[in-house]
Amino acid sequence: MRSWKGWVGAALALAFYVVCWRVAQVDLARLAEGLPKLGHWIASAWPPALHELPLFGERIAETVAMAAIGTTAAMLLALPMAVLASRNITPWPRLYFPARWLLNALRGIDSFIFALLFVAAVGLGPFAGVIGIALHTWGSAAKLLADHIENMPMGPLDAVRSTGAGRATAIGYAVLPEILPVLLSSGLYWWEFNVRASTVLGVVGAGGIGLELKNSMDLLDFPRLLTIIVLILIVVTALDQASSWLRKRLV
Amino acid sequence: MSALFIAQKVGQRYGARVALDDVSFTLERGQMLALLGPSGAGKTTLFRCLAGLQRPNTGRIELDGADVAALHGRERRRIGLVFQQFNLVPRLSALDNVLAGRLGHASAWRGWLRQFDAADMALAHDCLARVGLAGHARQRADTLSGGQQQRVAIARALAQQPDLIIADEPVASLDPGSGAGILELLKSICHADGLAVVCSLHQPEYARRYADRVLGLRAGRVVVDLEAQRFGREQIDTLYDGVIHEPQF
Repeated sequence: MRSWKGWVGAALALAFYVVCWRVAQVDLARLAEGLPKLGHWIASAWPPALHELPLFGERIAETVAMAAIGTTAAMLLALPMAVLASRNITPWPRLYFPARWLLNALRGIDSFIFALLFVAAVGLGPFAGVIGIALHTWGSAAKLLADHIENMPMGPLDAVRSTGAGRATAIGYAVLPEILPVLLSSGLYWWEFNVRASTVLGVVGAGGIGLELKNSMDLLDFPRLLTIIVLILIVVTALDQASSWLRKRLV
Repeated sequence: MSALFIAQKVGQRYGARVALDDVSFTLERGQMLALLGPSGAGKTTLFRCLAGLQRPNTGRIELDGADVAALHGRERRRIGLVFQQFNLVPRLSALDNVLAGRLGHASAWRGWLRQFDAADMALAHDCLARVGLAGHARQRADTLSGGQQQRVAIARALAQQPDLIIADEPVASLDPGSGAGILELLKSICHADGLAVVCSLHQPEYARRYADRVLGLRAGRVVVDLEAQRFGREQIDTLYDGVIHEPQF
């Protein structure tokens, strides 16, 4: 009986993967054909093109700045939203579920999709990227904070309330100091994450180094492409190191 | 001149269960009342009612003529609460935790920015000094020992400049040495400042040693109400069915 069920399960799993293989159009022969082409491109990418470095520097700065503004805006918006989306401290319990739904929606839609929409609405350029980053990160950060608040012991808040403090003052006094380090350290993480994510925002015209990346690819200019990829790696690694160092000091 | 704190025929039921039944007592300034009783006797319910956290089904509790269940907002500063689990804000310093006691006096923005005026700062330092922690003002609350945290919590209640302090099993989470120190402190504050103190306890010998009066609850009813010196073996048997044997008595 038991082994009979096992066989059926295995057969179903196998069928699932066969169907997926077909639907995803996996074709190893094409990969085998394509690999030499890729090898040729990599070979032709050396030496990297350095004459456009000042332009790339500007674009990278744009990417880092987009991520910084978008992330910071998201963090500032996340704080009041997290209070609203925490069952235990929300001043308006009726808004708890709507707030949670909004956060899930914001979190579920990638910043790339938001950027697509806002390029159409506010035009090409990094500002559309900033809005995309801000909206998606807002949802993610506020949900993280709200979950943190819901798991906090409420004794200190009750005690501060009982001293005659108003509700908002008591939240500012008893809850804020406990979640501020979480906000700052997750903010650093989101910033770094958004720098990585926003390299692709340029592809849809939302500013940053991604734009140059796409241009190089379209022109099959591999020395230029190599320079850009190496630059992105350097910046992301440096930011990763800096933010993990800072986060260690915060917690 | 009527008493500072009066409980009149306080009753509370939860469905068919009677948690408090006709509880009455009065308390004067400078008097410390110990609340004793086995688990489930209604001490926690009484604490919530006395603290104004819950309005009893029947009866009335008055602080200086005012109904405590109707105290709200800043008026709540008149009752200082001390909890079994201390309930300090862990990441704030001892001093900032004491300053929380000033939130019922200061304007709201001061609370948000944690910027208090010189008089509030001086008072908070005084309160810390009175509980013996003058040297720990800048130390984070979560790095203090349990006994020290409870002292900070008492300093926070003192900073409210309350008429009454209600302590809910303040020594239940402490070792006997720290616990005795906490009760000694509450007693001295009560007598020196002319506050009234209500303190629920599990240990009858503490009640006898530190309180002025003992109120014994059993199944929601007051079965003992007398001066602490006269509280002895007989009353302990009444309260606990003779299951507690203590060499002191």
